[in-house]
Amino acid sequence: MNYLIKISLRNLQRQKRRNVLLGVAIAFGTMVLIMASAFSHGISDVLFNQIVVYVAGHVSVNFSENGNQFTQVFHDGPRALDIIKKAVPEMRSVQESMGIMARAIGNAKSDNIIMIGVDLKAGDEQDAKDAEKNFKMITGSFSDIGDTAIENAVLLSEQKAKYLNVKKGDILRVRYKLLNGQDQASRLTVAGIFKPANLFMSVPVMVEVKALKKLLGYSPDDIATLYLSLKKPKKDAVDVADKIQSLMKPSLAGIYADITGKDSIRARVTILGCKSDTASKRLLKSKISLIDSSSEITKESVFISDSLASVLKVKPGDQIPLVYIAKYDNDKGQGYLKISALFKSDSVIPSNVILVNEIDFYKVFYSKWPADFTKIPEAFVPDSQSSIYGVLSKEWNLLPRVKTTSEMTKQQREVGSKRIRGTSVSVQSMYESASAVLNLEKALYMITFIAVMILFFIILIGVVNTLRMTIRERTREIGTIRAIGMQKSDVKMTFVFETFFLSLFSALAGTVAAFAAMNVISLFKIDAGDNPIGMLLTNGHLHFAPTAVSIIGFIILIIAIAVATAYFPARKASNLSSAEALRHYE
Amino acid sequence: MIRETAVILVCGAMSLFSYPKIDKILEDLDGRYSMVADVKAKVELTQQKANQGTKKLEMTYYRSDKDKTFLIVMDAPENEKGNGYLRMEDNFWMYRRNTRTFQHINRDESIGGSDAKGDDFEDKKLTEMYKAAVDSNGNEIISDDTLGKIDVYRFEITAKVNDVDYPKKIYWMRKDNGLILKEAAYSQSGTLMQTAYYLKYTTIRKRQIAVKILYVDEFEKGNKSVVEISGISIDDLSDDIFTKAYLENLSK
Repeated sequence: MNYLIKISLRNLQRQKRRNVLLGVAIAFGTMVLIMASAFSHGISDVLFNQIVVYVAGHVSVNFSENGNQFTQVFHDGPRALDIIKKAVPEMRSVQESMGIMARAIGNAKSDNIIMIGVDLKAGDEQDAKDAEKNFKMITGSFSDIGDTAIENAVLLSEQKAKYLNVKKGDILRVRYKLLNGQDQASRLTVAGIFKPANLFMSVPVMVEVKALKKLLGYSPDDIATLYLSLKKPKKDAVDVADKIQSLMKPSLAGIYADITGKDSIRARVTILGCKSDTASKRLLKSKISLIDSSSEITKESVFISDSLASVLKVKPGDQIPLVYIAKYDNDKGQGYLKISALFKSDSVIPSNVILVNEIDFYKVFYSKWPADFTKIPEAFVPDSQSSIYGVLSKEWNLLPRVKTTSEMTKQQREVGSKRIRGTSVSVQSMYESASAVLNLEKALYMITFIAVMILFFIILIGVVNTLRMTIRERTREIGTIRAIGMQKSDVKMTFVFETFFLSLFSALAGTVAAFAAMNVISLFKIDAGDNPIGMLLTNGHLHFAPTAVSIIGFIILIIAIAVATAYFPARKASNLSSAEALRHYE
Repeated sequence: MIRETAVILVCGAMSLFSYPKIDKILEDLDGRYSMVADVKAKVELTQQKANQGTKKLEMTYYRSDKDKTFLIVMDAPENEKGNGYLRMEDNFWMYRRNTRTFQHINRDESIGGSDAKGDDFEDKKLTEMYKAAVDSNGNEIISDDTLGKIDVYRFEITAKVNDVDYPKKIYWMRKDNGLILKEAAYSQSGTLMQTAYYLKYTTIRKRQIAVKILYVDEFEKGNKSVVEISGISIDDLSDDIFTKAYLENLSK
């Protein structure tokens, strides 16, 4: 074997000019293939780790209250975050995504803006560095956004600052909707102006997420839509979404409360919500014995048992105040219920239970998340086999997982049109929520790969042609070595090894050249201006992300193709009889 | 000392009793503005925005009294003509004439691209949304004032539910006939957001209806809207009007 390798290496040096030219062609092909692959991976890296993370998260947990897509709030935030941390112990970051439209007035100029929440504490050191890279500050410092000494500090792009005629330290007056839908006006202080990394960054006004939540009227336990950034998004996104979905199943909602009737008579009751869809109302009507049989079950119904009404000295039409222990901070929640009808208590619905329409129920329930009523021994906790269990409201409404973006859009439309009460929770991976971005990544990769492979096959035609010429030139030499006893297989292997070494050295040289070229190209800054292609750049530079696996894979592929190409001419050469080969003359 | 205290108490009581109770005023206003009948009217909305010129919308408004359903059919401008908005129970649909499609929208979405929203056309009771504002002594905030040469009561109310646009409002109400002349709306942060001037009233079935209202945007100076209502009819309306089919037929 060794002597075959030696002969092959020696043969490589015989036609130096031809082999060098062939080697350069293979090296060039390798270089282009590696660069194209690295560029494609770079785009993929930008899309997955910068754009998808901010646009949809690798996995997102979305909330909408009462069917309103703009009311993105979940009132038991600590619990949701705890569930996510348990489900995904190894994630890069979890952050709240908040964006709110507002009307801003600067210095004698006004414009529509989007206030975006920036979580300075989310993610690792790398995330912080990436964030700083995205905000190339012209005036002020990126960290000033978190300075609580500044009244509602914001960062905005130089384009937006110019349009609104504001500079660092100026006040922006903004009008927007609070979480509860009320119109609100606030003052924002321009803490810094940045040069946007891409077109999309020129639009939003950045506000520290906690400050923005406060501006919008979120309570301390409320959270907005969550975006999770994973370490291995492509591999883990769907599994993580499925796992969170399974852990986010809601329990039965209930409030164990003190209510006060006439003459300050008090009683402890369990308050349960009732769904308002037609099927649930029909089922409830068949299971509840209303004292006044003409009473209807409507979306405003509040039912109290006749015995409890008698104790409290209340009747339909009366409003009863209630107080209960909240889940967090030893706090108390409170509210009012307006009795609409009385029912006769039985074993299914005992006397110390108040059934409330889900609109009024969720108003109280979400105003201050109550302590878990199932853990209070005195509370009535309906059995899951109970005949009314199906009509009772859950803590939230967990929407089924969807598989595609169109299914997701359809689901969102249904939640809005059916005006589903309470908070609707949906868990999505980037494959559903950001499929457009992912399809773009796939398309770019395929275009690059096909273009490069076409180029490479053109080069391979040259390789085949060169080998055929070499074999033809060496036909008499083959006859000589066959005459002195070299085996057919050895002759064949000599040519295969020769091609193998030529392609190996060329591929290695091409790899070195690719790295050199990538480093040089990365130095050039591209001013994409308003061109959307700018979103694929990193701070105005092309981003290459070569991977060891792909480089090794390409080198093996190139060698394999070259050797396979050489194999057939080599076999033909080895099959020549020595006498015939010696007679060969050109 | 006893005499002085007695005088203060009497004066206090007099001033306390010289003003009507705000909750009673709200009840009266609800009764005054609530139309217990079906309604059909032409509504003209002229909206002027700073640096954006004037936009004029004309629409026909139908309201059924018995089930709180309403329908808005756009009459002008030409690009909006035939479009409509139908409210039935909790559902609110927008109809597009060009595509002949209905789309579910939220109550707080714009009507015809204007500042008017779906819930502006709902029959809402002040007493259900607001209560009297009280000062630090627990007294209702109401005082005498004049608008031009007209004597008015100036009183303040605060929201008792979240489902309102503004949590605080101040009204100026004529003393002689109880008509509202001016309304100032404040945000939670205490910023004056909008002032409404009730410029003209008409009487229908002994009830006063404001038919010309000027809304001034106090946040963004230069923006204002005028709403004019005309051709008010309170004859019974057919149930067929409050259907999707009615809107579709209009564009045939």
